Order: sequence, then C-alpha cells, then structure tokens
Amino acid sequence: MNENKKHMGLKAKERLSNTVIYAILIVMSIVWLIPFVFLVFESFRVESTYQVGYVIPKQFGFDNYINLFTKTDFPIWFKNTLVIGLFVSVIQTVIVLCMSYTLSRLRFKGRKGLMNIMLVLGFFPGFLSLVILYKVLSWLNLTSANSVPGLILVYVASSGMGYYVSKGFFDTISRSLDEAARVDGATRFQVFTKVIMPLSKPIVIYTILTAFMGPWGDFMLAKYVSHATSAGMNVAVGLQTMISTPASLAANYTMFCAGGVVVAIPITILFMCLQKYYVEGVTGGAVKG
Amino acid sequence: MARVKLTDVKKIYDNNVVAVHDFNLDIADKEFIVFVGPSGCGKSTTLRMVAGLEEISEGTVEIDGVVVNDLQPKDRDISMVFQNYALYPHLTVFENIAFPLRLVKTPQDEVFQKVTEVAEILGITEYLNRKPRALSGGQRQRVAIGRAMVRNPKVFLMDEPLSNLDAKLRNQMRAEIILLRKRIDTTFIYVTHDQTEAMTLGDRIVIMKDGYIMQVGTPDEVFDSPANLFVAEFIGAPKMNTFKTQLIKENGEYYVTPFGAKILVDGRKGELLKAKNVQPGEVILGVRPEHMVVAKDGIEATVLVNEMMGSEIHLHVVTKDDTQLIVRVPTVDLSHEEREKLTNGHELHVSFKGNVMNFFDPETEKNILVD
Repeated sequence: MNENKKHMGLKAKERLSNTVIYAILIVMSIVWLIPFVFLVFESFRVESTYQVGYVIPKQFGFDNYINLFTKTDFPIWFKNTLVIGLFVSVIQTVIVLCMSYTLSRLRFKGRKGLMNIMLVLGFFPGFLSLVILYKVLSWLNLTSANSVPGLILVYVASSGMGYYVSKGFFDTISRSLDEAARVDGATRFQVFTKVIMPLSKPIVIYTILTAFMGPWGDFMLAKYVSHATSAGMNVAVGLQTMISTPASLAANYTMFCAGGVVVAIPITILFMCLQKYYVEGVTGGAVKG
Repeated sequence: MARVKLTDVKKIYDNNVVAVHDFNLDIADKEFIVFVGPSGCGKSTTLRMVAGLEEISEGTVEIDGVVVNDLQPKDRDISMVFQNYALYPHLTVFENIAFPLRLVKTPQDEVFQKVTEVAEILGITEYLNRKPRALSGGQRQRVAIGRAMVRNPKVFLMDEPLSNLDAKLRNQMRAEIILLRKRIDTTFIYVTHDQTEAMTLGDRIVIMKDGYIMQVGTPDEVFDSPANLFVAEFIGAPKMNTFKTQLIKENGEYYVTPFGAKILVDGRKGELLKAKNVQPGEVILGVRPEHMVVAKDGIEATVLVNEMMGSEIHLHVVTKDDTQLIVRVPTVDLSHEEREKLTNGHELHVSFKGNVMNFFDPETEKNILVD
C-alpha cells in the first residue's frame, strides 16, 4: 500500500515537473516571438509611416515593401550583404575546418602556444581594432564605396580564431579512423575529405551558418568602413540610416520594419533547410563504445 | 608476401620516455608472428612503427628489403586491423571494404568482384548494404578484417583485434583467424596481451616487457624453456609456481629441496644440468600448476582455495612457510570422496616430477638452462 503510494507520487511528480518545464518554455517562446510578430504587423501597416499606439494595422498592404525596394538603396545594401555573407561563409568555413582539423590531429611545435595566444586574443572585443582596421583599409582603398571587399577581408582574416567548436567536434572522432584510412592508402587530405568531412556534416553546417550570420548582422565595423557611402553599406547600416533622425524615423519607421522582415528571411530559410543536419549520432558504430 | 626486418628499432617520445629499446627481429616471409606482453610493454608501438603510424626514432624497418622508415603508411603495402574496428560509420559494409580499392581507382567491376569474394569468405555477404552501427561486434570485426584482406597486402598487421569481443566470440574468431591465415598466406604481425591468443596463433611469439624483448621463440619453446622468470610467469594460465630453493648435487645427481622435500631432477632437465655442470646453490624453481600433483608424500601444504573449473580444479595451497602454490587437478580421475576432501583447510602433500622444472638465477632471473 505504502509502496503503491510512493509509486504514484513519483508519477505525479514527473507530470508536475513536465508541466512546469512546458509552462516555462511556452512563456519564453511567447516572449521571444512578441517582437517579431510586432515587427511583421508594423511592416504591413499602410495607414501611417510612424509609430502608433496599437499593434494590429488598420489597413494591411505591401506598400512598405514596395517602397523599400523602389525608393531606397535597399537592393544595393541587400546585394552587398549577400555577397559579403556568401564569400565569408565559404572562405571562413574552409579556413576554420582546416584549422580545427590541424589543431585536433597534427602535433607540432608551438601548437599549444598558438591555441593559448588565440584564446587570449579572443578575450579582447573586436571593436578595439576598429581604428587601425579602418586605417589599413583606407590605405588599401577598401572603404566607402569599396567597402564590400574590405569587409570580406576583415571578416575572413580572423576566421582561424573560431576553431574551438569544430576542433572539439573533431576531437570526438576516433583517431583510429584517420589511421585506418591512412593505412588503407589515403593521403592526409583524402582522410580529411573522404572520412572526416562526411562525418562532420553537423559541424560544417554550424560553421557555415555562423560564418554567414556574423557579417549578415554586423553593424559597427560595416558602419565605420562604409563611411556614410550608401553604395558600400550593408543592410544593418543602410536600415539604420533610414531612421537616424527623428524626422526620418517618423517618415520611414514602417518601411524600416519591412526591411527587418526581409533581412530575417534568408537566415530563416537557411536554418529551415539546414536544421535536419543537426542530427547527433553520425559517428555511432564507428568504434566500439 | 614479404620479409619484415627490424634492426635496432627504438621509440623515444618527445618527453624522453623510451617506449621501445633496440628491437631486433627478422620476420620470415609468410610467418605469423605475435607480439605479446602486458599493457605498456611497447608491443603496439612497435606494430605502429611497422605500419608507419608512429615515427621510428632510431633503427630501421625493412619490408622486402626496402627501408620504409620514411614511407607513408599508404606506400608500405600493409593492412591493419584495429582493436576498435575503425570502420567508417558513414559508409556501408560494402563501401568500407571497397575503400582501399577506391583510393587506387580500381575499376567498378573489379571492386564488386573482390568485395563480394572477401565478403563470402568472411560470411558477411548479407550485411553488405548495412552501416557498421547495425552490426554486432563480431560482424564489425569481420568487416575490418575484410577491408584489410581485400588489397592482398604484403604484411597483415593486427592490433589486439579480438580484445573488444566477449570470451565466447573471441574463441570463435581466434579459430577463424587460424583458418583465414591459411587462406591469405602472407606475413602476419599480431599484437595481443592475451597469452592464449599468442600461443594458439603464432608461429613465433615475441614476449615484451617495458620496451624490451624478453624472448622470441615458438610456442613450445617459450612454454617449455622460458628464457627468464618474466616469460615463465607470463606464459601459461594459471601462472607458473615460482619459489626459492636449494639445488644440491649428490653422487652426480641434482636434487632440489623445496619446503623440506627432496626431489630428484631427472629426465632432460637433469641431463642438461649435468651437461652444463651447473654449480649447486640457491635457485628460483619454476613448476607449472599442471605439472604439480596431489601426492602421498612431498611438500606438506594446506588447501586455501578450491576453484572448480569443470574439467579441472585449480587448487590454491599454502605451504608451511606461507608460500602459495597452485595445483591443477584434473577432475576426470578424481573420485567423489577425493574431491570432497579438497576443501579449505584440508592438509595434503603436493609434488612434481623432476623433468618439468625450470631453474632461474635468483639475481638475473634468467633461465639457467637457456642460453
């Protein structure tokens, strides 16, 4: 009798804790979704271009989107950002993966020292180097209208520093797989491409996503380098110029919101397409666990 | 098919730890050689140096007369089976076995023919489309062996291939490796810590300890004439009984006097002692448990533990001066009453024949009768 009571108590306890967990998660997701819902509503508002005291528009329409693409430099900013994002994601992914694989698998003099230096360097916020970066880029004539290649250069230059996560992943792949492949006749490069890469899909996807998202949402460096030249701006900087004064805020606020929605679309699509690769257990069965 | 020759091979790690000291070994073509020893003895390191996975600090490794020190593993024409199988988890069994062939751009129909042939030999044809994770340990190990076989390598390396299998499967796979060896007919280097595997598989066994070779010999040699105390105790289960005793010589005959008994050294061992004219004195005497018997007279002892193994009993007895000995008593000749008696506290006599003893120098621990 007593035991039975205890048993039911355990079940009830589990149910209670699940309820609490779900309640917390639901509240959190609502809190996270509110700004986005708000943004979407604002972007479809036709009756006013400025902030109003209510959420749901009285009149829905695509006016803000049409204006965004026809009356502003948004298409240029969007193209700039896309170009930067694509280049950076490709180059940075290659560099990061090579770097992490090297640090995970090869043993060479100065390996530990190098990792420590990069760790310490990582403690400093990026904007500390803003002035000198600008100086260097302006010498190279890669600012203002030419800021797209300039920004790509800067974003890519520090790629190697982001090796931690992927190195951690490679460390979990048994080294005997590398060794087996080398004995089977593979070169180091073939080991990397034919064995390690296929096993590392999740981390490759992760690296591509983070490499794309960094420049996609960057504001500070892009603002500095584009230097008030619209042709060299990315979306974040361009959109900000639309609402930089009280007058422009009143005139462009809903269009700004439309810009925000458009900016979110590629990232959302990217995530939706790639999330299925975030599957654990690719290495299951490789070595005896 | 190849001869493998290791000359003064040494492995020194960056932290100056010497893992392998002056390793010299000449492995004949098609020989099955087994490196055996406790963990940390350098057996795997030596194998990995042959494979090219570990740099050779000093000395040379030759395969078919070619020094391979500076060759990449892929250029050595070797295959290796790993303890943890090391199957490529993203590839099917077929592609795992085909992997080495694909790397050298073998035509598709040849790949298919070779892989199916190997799969048939190993009995894994029905799993060819499965991924490794859907296989049991024994099946995975077969795939690993298949991947190593498919290329017809000069040298076949195996690094503790059976250690991850359970005891029953290990026995089965051991027998399969013996059969496989006949089929493949190439040079094998096999690493294990299990002396049973070493004894049953090897043409010759290399027993290692702390980076040194303790003895190289056929299973019979290392069992009957262990070069030193370490080999004597390492080979054979349960391990050899060893204890200090006096070797005496009376009227031209040698005797040992363990625990107050006096036993004549006769047979081959007695003749060897005479031929070498060994000086009487203190020796470490080694007698295998299977050579000891419960007797009417001999060494007085008391039963400590009775381990019933089925076909035999491992009888742990303790002598008057607290030395523990193990006696293997076959149960087939034992009457029910006799078996009942062999319980804790029972007093009995144990003895052994004179022609099965091993004599070790108490200082050097070397076998007095082995050069």
